[in-house]
Amino acid sequence: MSCAFPKETLALHIEGDLTPAVAEITSSHLAACDECRHFVEQLCARQSLLKSLRLETVVSSDCTGMRRDVMALINERGAGAGWAWRIERAFVLGFQRHSYAMAAITLICLASAAVLAQIRNSPPETEASVPAFEGRDTLLRPEGYRDWMLMGGPARSPRTSVELVFINPTAYREYAKTGKFPEGTLMIWEAVRDTQQATAPHKQSSLLASVKDSSRFDGGWGFFDFTRLDGTVATKAKALPESSGCRTCHRQDAT
Amino acid sequence: MEFRPDGSLLVQTALSMSRLSHEELSRDAVEIARLVRLTLGGDATAFEPIILRYETRVMTLAARLLGTRDDARDAAQEVFLRAFKYLHRLDLQKPVEPWLMRITVNVCRDAARTRQRRRDTLVDIETPETIDPSADPYAGVARKQERVILHRALDSLPEKERLAILLRDVEGLSTAEVASILQSSETTVRSQVSRGRLRLKAAIDRMTGGER
Repeated sequence: MSCAFPKETLALHIEGDLTPAVAEITSSHLAACDECRHFVEQLCARQSLLKSLRLETVVSSDCTGMRRDVMALINERGAGAGWAWRIERAFVLGFQRHSYAMAAITLICLASAAVLAQIRNSPPETEASVPAFEGRDTLLRPEGYRDWMLMGGPARSPRTSVELVFINPTAYREYAKTGKFPEGTLMIWEAVRDTQQATAPHKQSSLLASVKDSSRFDGGWGFFDFTRLDGTVATKAKALPESSGCRTCHRQDAT
Repeated sequence: MEFRPDGSLLVQTALSMSRLSHEELSRDAVEIARLVRLTLGGDATAFEPIILRYETRVMTLAARLLGTRDDARDAAQEVFLRAFKYLHRLDLQKPVEPWLMRITVNVCRDAARTRQRRRDTLVDIETPETIDPSADPYAGVARKQERVILHRALDSLPEKERLAILLRDVEGLSTAEVASILQSSETTVRSQVSRGRLRLKAAIDRMTGGER
């Protein structure tokens, strides 16, 4: 076709799908353009053919069979839906209006999501966060302490050291409330660094712990160093003696 | 095919439904609303007249979308099971039919994804029975041939355009109704319908050896 009038517009014109203004322009054009008029006639012929499909319909026996099956399934298992469906249905029927029910469900979902997020963000309370001893004064290295509350760090020394301090969650919550460390407080000090360049007093250590347990330690606090001589970390450590000097620095601040 | 008591053909299409008076439509809506409330109240048997009211429409649309009687039957069954399950979501202030049409389209889309479409049998199972037996038998053959071409041409359309054409031109729904069923905008539907009509014409022209 040589006429540049949009064919898409003609395709809509044949069933009155155009706005009145565009329909008027199209009608005016068709009155003057034989080519477009011929095209529209062809489109109309195809359209009649298409509409003849309306005469095709399913046989009623198929419908009857289908209906019987549906009713049998409904009687057999009901709607057969889970708890989410039951809650939604109860809300909708309770609120009568679908939109109100949806708003209520959305609010509940948001509240639930907020609570879940809160729970998920809470540090895990596990047995591993409670100080575990072997004998009277040997502390077992706790598992998963990196998931505990991070109290300090990353402290970066002028060179390459990163030092982190973790505390078991129960103790942290108590401390946050009262300002005092409760019995059972377990703090882990961990350093990732070049020991040659580290600063005193922990320059040889990579994993230290302090535990508050008045029944075991004089002054309430016991101090432990899990670092072996070769720099690796042991799975347990004996309480450091008074001569190690830990108490001198720490006890005055510990409450 | 369904027949009225006087023997005339009953074809339940949007077009014929649009001929119902407002009074009939509102009476119909009141009755449907009553049945829906009964069903929601726990009387599952009240759902059967609802199925009866819309089964031909749903199954015919499913047949057009999926192409075979068996697929249409399975789809219609799923449509009414879903409708029963989610009946509480139905807004009784609005007509039931578009809601069911939307479910039908969604069910058929799901079915089409999992099954190979087999479009060519509907013509065979449902040859139009409005042919005058006294007329030229060759005319009947020609008409059947025409339908085969038409179905093939429809099959050649992109899915969205085919759906828009079937709902707008074959089912006779308004652009607004089609947009609501397809959860799309009227502008998008107009564009799909327009492109679909042009493509359909081109496809038929190609199959019939040029413009006729």
